[in-house]
Amino acid sequence: MLGLSYAAVPLYRLYCQATGLGGSAVAGHGSDQIETMEPVKDRIIKVTFNADVHASLSWNFRPQQTEIYVVPGETALAFYKAKNSTDKPIIGISTYNVVPFEAGQYFNKIQCFCFEEQRLNPHEEVDMPVFFFIDPEFAEDPRMARVDLITLSYTFFEAKEGHKLPLPGYQ
Amino acid sequence: MSTAMNFGSKSFKPRPPDKGAFPLDHLGECKGFKEKFMTCLRENSFESALCRQESKDYLECRMERQLMAKEPLEKLGFKDLIDEKLEAKHDKV
Repeated sequence: MLGLSYAAVPLYRLYCQATGLGGSAVAGHGSDQIETMEPVKDRIIKVTFNADVHASLSWNFRPQQTEIYVVPGETALAFYKAKNSTDKPIIGISTYNVVPFEAGQYFNKIQCFCFEEQRLNPHEEVDMPVFFFIDPEFAEDPRMARVDLITLSYTFFEAKEGHKLPLPGYQ
Repeated sequence: MSTAMNFGSKSFKPRPPDKGAFPLDHLGECKGFKEKFMTCLRENSFESALCRQESKDYLECRMERQLMAKEPLEKLGFKDLIDEKLEAKHDKV
């Protein structure tokens, strides 16, 4: 399980190098959908936030809010905070997880701090925003009818120079 | 972090963010806007819909300081807040 999360990071980097889409939109839904989507105001969803660091990373990493209440079709902002409590700069890289699994496909991150290396200088503390929305189609999926809680989890790893993460078979 | 270790069950596949990663605000240039937003959330029982003006202000701060690619606010889902502003202007005139 850990292997798959590790794989996501270098694979994303490979993808960016190949396509040059370092930060730009992935094809498909994008700003057009955001511009025209309508909030589904009667479907309130609680989003809770988890933060983890891999054992070897000496960062203090935590969400700045335990929860936020959103509706599908409306963009929302949330914050994490990270502090490097050591005397040397550390580069971290994160991946994320959404539960329940089926809700994950409706969880769209417009912009966040994941999948790219983030460097914190000694004793530095920074805000880390996540800007996201839940696809309005969530409200039309019968499988989601009883889902009113989505949990977003971020995990930071230390990004080491020359460190090659094992890549399991990727389907 | 990981989902259950069930063989045969689907596992979550993370997707990269649409617009990539936010550069870190090392100098805390937009920290004030973040604090306003967080205060708004705390005062409104963490209801995102009531703090959209503050979230818009935060993102505008980033855009003005090259901490976020500049985009028309409609494309970030703030069309209604802009329309409200325009309406208010018309009413005054």
